[in-house]
Amino acid sequence: MESIIQIEKLTKRFPVGTGEFTALKDINLAFGKGEFTGFVGPSGSGKTTLLNIIGSLDTPTEGEVTVLGHSIAHLTHRQSAKLRNQHLGFIFQTYNLFPVYTVYENVEFALLLQQMPAAERRKAVLDALEWVGLTDKAHSRPAQLSGGEGQRVAIARAMVKRPAIMLADEPTANLDSKNSHHILQTMAQLNKELKTTFLFATHDEKVMAYLRRIISLEDGRVVKDEAMTPQRQPGV
Amino acid sequence: MLAIKLAFKNIIGAGFRTFLNIAVLSFAFVVIIWHNGVIDGWNKQARRDTIEWEIGRGQLWHPTFDPLDFLSYQDAHAPLSETVQALVEEGQLTPILIAQASAFPQGRMQGVILKGIDPGQKILKIPSGLLEARNGQIPALIGSRMADDIRMKEGDQLLIRWRDKNGTFDALEVIIAGVFDCNVPTIDGGQIWLPLESLRQMLNMPGEATLLVAGENYTGGDAEPWVFRSQDYLLADLDLIIQSKKGGGAIIYGLLLVIALLAIFDTQVLSIFRRQKEIGTYIALGMTRWQVVGIFTVEGSVYSILAILLGALYGAPLLWYTAKVGWALPAASTDMGISIAERIYPVYGAGLIAATIVLVVLASTIVSFLPARKIARLNPTDALKGKIQ
Ligand SMILES: Nc1ncnc2c1ncn2[C@@H]1O[C@H](COP(=O)(O)OP(=O)(O)O)[C@@H](O)[C@H]1O
Ligand SMILES: [Mg+2]
Repeated sequence: MESIIQIEKLTKRFPVGTGEFTALKDINLAFGKGEFTGFVGPSGSGKTTLLNIIGSLDTPTEGEVTVLGHSIAHLTHRQSAKLRNQHLGFIFQTYNLFPVYTVYENVEFALLLQQMPAAERRKAVLDALEWVGLTDKAHSRPAQLSGGEGQRVAIARAMVKRPAIMLADEPTANLDSKNSHHILQTMAQLNKELKTTFLFATHDEKVMAYLRRIISLEDGRVVKDEAMTPQRQPGV
Repeated sequence: MLAIKLAFKNIIGAGFRTFLNIAVLSFAFVVIIWHNGVIDGWNKQARRDTIEWEIGRGQLWHPTFDPLDFLSYQDAHAPLSETVQALVEEGQLTPILIAQASAFPQGRMQGVILKGIDPGQKILKIPSGLLEARNGQIPALIGSRMADDIRMKEGDQLLIRWRDKNGTFDALEVIIAGVFDCNVPTIDGGQIWLPLESLRQMLNMPGEATLLVAGENYTGGDAEPWVFRSQDYLLADLDLIIQSKKGGGAIIYGLLLVIALLAIFDTQVLSIFRRQKEIGTYIALGMTRWQVVGIFTVEGSVYSILAILLGALYGAPLLWYTAKVGWALPAASTDMGISIAERIYPVYGAGLIAATIVLVVLASTIVSFLPARKIARLNPTDALKGKIQ
């Protein structure tokens, strides 16, 4: 299968005090279209750092990371912003919704950046809200939502532009079991229907139950990379 | 467009602090317009009074005449040529003859300036028509300040002493034929207005003048040997004083503006610190750092726009009212050396309002840009973690 993300000899070091801290060391990975994959490992193992580099929010210290044909190390700010806007969707542990906008406006945001025509935009936003089952909350503010609803809005906001890749960093960490399964079901469904590639960073067993590939990190190294038969499937 | 919409939402979402910033800024906005309006109104009134009472459309000066040098008056006079005399008869010019003298009100001696004016002139507002001989005495007109100063009123006698053309002292008693009210100190304080022909005889200068005041219809420029002084030339001192008054006021409202801008600056610094995650999320969603700087900068401009709207809300009726009833000066000071009315009617020109709007918008945009610039150097991953100091 043709890969849409290639990582070769990736090393990431952060300056710490007078020295350096190596957060990722010699990572070699490739991901194909439609994967439903997770980085797992203890806290501090480098999951977020890896996801951020793939998301072009950070750059490699050494090695090459290519996302949809773009070398992350060589993108200008403007180019990486464009890559994120058009092809990457982010989901955060803390949802990161804009508090002063309504649910509808939060979802609409990325499309406004793309300068999508109003009619098309409206349809896309309403579709996305329907996916996550929040059509009736379109005019609520984030503060009026439950945690599960908040994260579903975040999924709608990331999905509305139909990105090729979704990057979800601990998406269930703030949710109870019922809500966790609800959003995982939603994401598995999107993965199945739209062939969107999902990459998770997680140490949540509930997430792992859905994954088809699990990459284990320890101290910034890949220690295991295995294909799984998911225990849970969309709709089950 | 997107940035403006976002900025409005963010600002309105910020609640009380926003209201405070907007209130202070709108206050500064209204005070700036009001203060400049008062000075512009004063300027307008002072220019109008000075033109109507003293300088007309300009003046033709004897070449050696220097209004600030009293000693120059002795020699600064010349007869009118036929052409100039013709213009006088047509009403285009009116001659004024000036001489130094002493007056003796209540037995005190006081230096005065005698000015001869044609009682029939129509160019200046000075009520020269009151200069009619009474009981064979020469009539004199004085302004109300002079009247207070020398404690004289209509019908009183005043002894004056002068030197004629040849330096010979002469003296006589004039009768105060009228006291006029006017805001122009240079035709009032220390001045005694006499009929032109009487002064010419007293000085032994038949047919002569020191200067001629031009009327509306005056077309010529210089007229040998007379040097034409335009309105602008004659109003230069007044303009200078008005400018300095404007500068003085700028300190007061400048301070007010600075307080408002500091409040916005502070709010911006705090808001950038508090909204790190939001900033990181904007970038994750595909904004460039400079677009985010733009959002935060535009928030500052939106403050000013809301402040202007609020200012218009309470300022417009307030300013309109002051323009209508005028503003009574706390102490109409006479020693300012320039025309100043007891009641000033502020003038709020479109230019003044537009300039103030531009100033307020620009200033608040700049103070929100300064802290927002920091975003451009930001690491989005740090912002998402909320790790910026
Ligand atoms: N900007 C940074 N500066 C210094 N150290 C960092 C920075 N970001 C992450 N690290 C370190 O890198 C390691 C991996 O972090 P992270 O990728 O967040 O781990 P995980 O997401 O697996 O918990 C941690 O030890 C963390 O302290
Ligand atoms: Mg992490």
